[in-house]
Amino acid sequence: MDDRIKALLLLNAVFAPSRVWDLLRERGLPPEALWERGCDTLHREVGLSGNASGGLEKLLRRGWVEKEKSRCDDEGLRLVLCDDPDYPKGLEDLEERPLLLYVRGRFPRSGPFVAVVGTRRCTSYGRAVASALGSELARRGCVVVSGGALGIDGAAHGGALEGGGSTVAVFGTGVDRIFPSEHEDLFRNIVAKGGALVSEYPLGTPGRGWLFPRRNRIIAALSSHLVVVEAPERSGAIITARLAGEMGRELWAVPGRIDEKVCRGSNALLADGAFPLVQVEQFVDLLRPRSSSSEEGQLSFFGAEDGMPEEEDGVFSTLSADETRLLRLLRERGDRTIDNMAAEGTMSPARISAALAVLCARGLVYESGPGRWRAGPR
Amino acid sequence: MSTILGLTLRGTRALCVEVEAEVTGGLFAITIVGLPDASVREARERVRAALRTVEIPLRGRVTVNLAPADIPKEGALLDLPLAVALACRTGAIDEVPPALFMGELALDGRLRRVRGAVPAALLARTMGLPLFVPLENVPEVALVEGVVAYGVPDLPALFAHLRGEAELSPVASCEIPEHEAEPDPDMADVKGQFQAKRGLEIAAAGHHNIFLVGSPGSGKTMLARALRGILPPLSKEDFMEVLLVRSTLGVAVEDGRRPPYRAVHHTATLPAICGGGSGLRPGEISRAHRGVLFLDEFPEFPRDLVEALRQPLEDGEIVVSRASGSVTYPSRVLLVAAANPCPCGNDGDPSEPCRCSASERERYARRLSGPILDRIDLYVSVPRLTPEELVAVEGHGAESSADIRRRVTAARERQRERWTPLGFGCNAEVPEKLLRKELRLGGAERRFLEDAARRCRLSGRGLARILRVARTVADLEGADAVGTTHLAEALAYRQGGNAWTTGSRRFSS
Repeated sequence: MDDRIKALLLLNAVFAPSRVWDLLRERGLPPEALWERGCDTLHREVGLSGNASGGLEKLLRRGWVEKEKSRCDDEGLRLVLCDDPDYPKGLEDLEERPLLLYVRGRFPRSGPFVAVVGTRRCTSYGRAVASALGSELARRGCVVVSGGALGIDGAAHGGALEGGGSTVAVFGTGVDRIFPSEHEDLFRNIVAKGGALVSEYPLGTPGRGWLFPRRNRIIAALSSHLVVVEAPERSGAIITARLAGEMGRELWAVPGRIDEKVCRGSNALLADGAFPLVQVEQFVDLLRPRSSSSEEGQLSFFGAEDGMPEEEDGVFSTLSADETRLLRLLRERGDRTIDNMAAEGTMSPARISAALAVLCARGLVYESGPGRWRAGPR
Repeated sequence: MSTILGLTLRGTRALCVEVEAEVTGGLFAITIVGLPDASVREARERVRAALRTVEIPLRGRVTVNLAPADIPKEGALLDLPLAVALACRTGAIDEVPPALFMGELALDGRLRRVRGAVPAALLARTMGLPLFVPLENVPEVALVEGVVAYGVPDLPALFAHLRGEAELSPVASCEIPEHEAEPDPDMADVKGQFQAKRGLEIAAAGHHNIFLVGSPGSGKTMLARALRGILPPLSKEDFMEVLLVRSTLGVAVEDGRRPPYRAVHHTATLPAICGGGSGLRPGEISRAHRGVLFLDEFPEFPRDLVEALRQPLEDGEIVVSRASGSVTYPSRVLLVAAANPCPCGNDGDPSEPCRCSASERERYARRLSGPILDRIDLYVSVPRLTPEELVAVEGHGAESSADIRRRVTAARERQRERWTPLGFGCNAEVPEKLLRKELRLGGAERRFLEDAARRCRLSGRGLARILRVARTVADLEGADAVGTTHLAEALAYRQGGNAWTTGSRRFSS
């Protein structure tokens, strides 16, 4: 095995800062120096801590590197090293960049990388926005980056897949772990649809509290834009946003209700000067100006096909009279129950349910609470 | 040697028991053999005291044998045949014509109400024998056609009858009482909740199990109770099945043709719900046979209990097997399950914030999943209306239960016409393959369905469920063919169609 890979795997496994590797290079030391020189020398020359070099020796004795490498090969994982040419450029901005990345699937090469992050405990509104954002971004060829967690993260990844694009999930566990277990299908789909699951942690690393904030710096560094959908004041998403701000990434936040605890953090970001994301399409237009040749989707009962932008006017032309009326009603004022709609309009509840089911399937409306409906974000 | 016929219960069936009595000289003692349970063994004290009131003193060693010897006998209903056998043996009465006796004796010779009078009447009918029952059991026995039965107030009256001194008059059979009580609550009393009401209407029409999700105070329980009022009245056969279970349990008949309604709390034990315990009694699911079984706080029910409900829901009957034997009870119920959207119940409700953590919510959602959900066709969310909204819907007249029931009954009739030749009663019972064949979807409907399946990521099972519900929606409308509007409405009740069931919390493809 390449000594370079071996050295990086080892350093990474003992959480050595990337500075160690840089010093090693600067001093012109070969990677073998790591296991050939004594502990003291390494400490003096490259600043490797005593703990780290002790851990390093232990790993060497166990033959861990060889095992790790062969496990990567068995699982079809790729290692992207920090001085490889395909190491993501954005990561260079980090003070402490990951020494290597374990990658499952294909890491997308091109397209603006946009991070969509937020709380696991989101409202259905947050979920709807994240999903719409993910899908619209993917449709226009952007890569959606997120943390693969429940709530906003999952909705953003899911939306991106629906939009037919690729998405990258940065794990806070080993990349071979499935956490949370609910997302097993999601992760499988991300890989199947040309996206990637990424982690800097060695295989088999279980979820630990402090690993997640640490991985957030990768999410922030990978992307050129970061959108916080819903986040309470002290949360991982806010950490990510702070890091992204420090690195000069463009910071956006979705305005939330001021009485909602899970929106405090994201709203505070707005107060501190983040761009307010008030319209999904407008935001995406800024990133990727719409091409003039927009194809017309083939007509079906649910209107435009996936992957086709649904134009403002175009939407209504594919809807029945009932559906149009309801969508207009909900766009005017949301959070309505079928009771309200039946009382206001002239339609029977049965017809309203039927129309809502069709609109919901098309993603034009969503259920904001039990039995309450809103028009989807645009 | 005198042989008198009594009976014991085995599930909803009565088994004939021969009671033989033998008296020999010696010190006084009564021994009962033939696998008596505690209540039968204690009968000796009751019988002895009761016989004393008709001046039949017992002397010597008394042995009572209950045949067949290998069947366990249970219940106080053997008191009466025991007393008659002993009276016969001591010569107080001469000849007893062949008949079935049942009843519990009071110390003063009166007869007390027993459970199992209807199974006994059915047994008497098949055996072609007259039946003597306590007077209090007469109302239920009267509902069984073609049985000769006598209501016995006390031992003196029975002995007078047997001696030919004063005839008891046979029980006159009567019609099933037409219980025209007001539905409580009436659907018109439920403010708003149009979608839930519509869901219940569909559930009642096609006998689909239904799941209600909503915040506390949104009216789930009231809606479930109102479902009873829109179910068609029990047919004669159904009524007899219900009567049989109730009589086995010793519950009075009071509801007439109204379908039963049983609400079960989540602290109920498995035998209480599925049946079992001493004497393998029927559980709540059998008590709700042909009616509504309401499980409130569904996620709080223990997992094994929920799983145990699956098979009886599927088969319409439940086999209760224990070491002492196994019995079969009917269990064709309309299941109404209700749940809060999250542990604190406020998830998604605009008026109050949810206080649950993500993991709490996940755990809760996971408890909502499981194979039992395959048996549920309709998912409805029940919003908690704000005071302003309640006022807004106030003026809009709601339909009464009677109106909805008329539609439901008509829809049931259509289903019966369609499925009876094939051996089924309603849409929910029909196997998927047959259902698909009978639907005869047109091209437009097919396209709609394909589109819906793709957009909503429907599984095969989800699709089948939608077809089933759509068939019922069409039946309610009186349409022969299932159209796209019916399919679209069915789509609104699918699992995961709302964010409040497990389906959409997970991303599946």
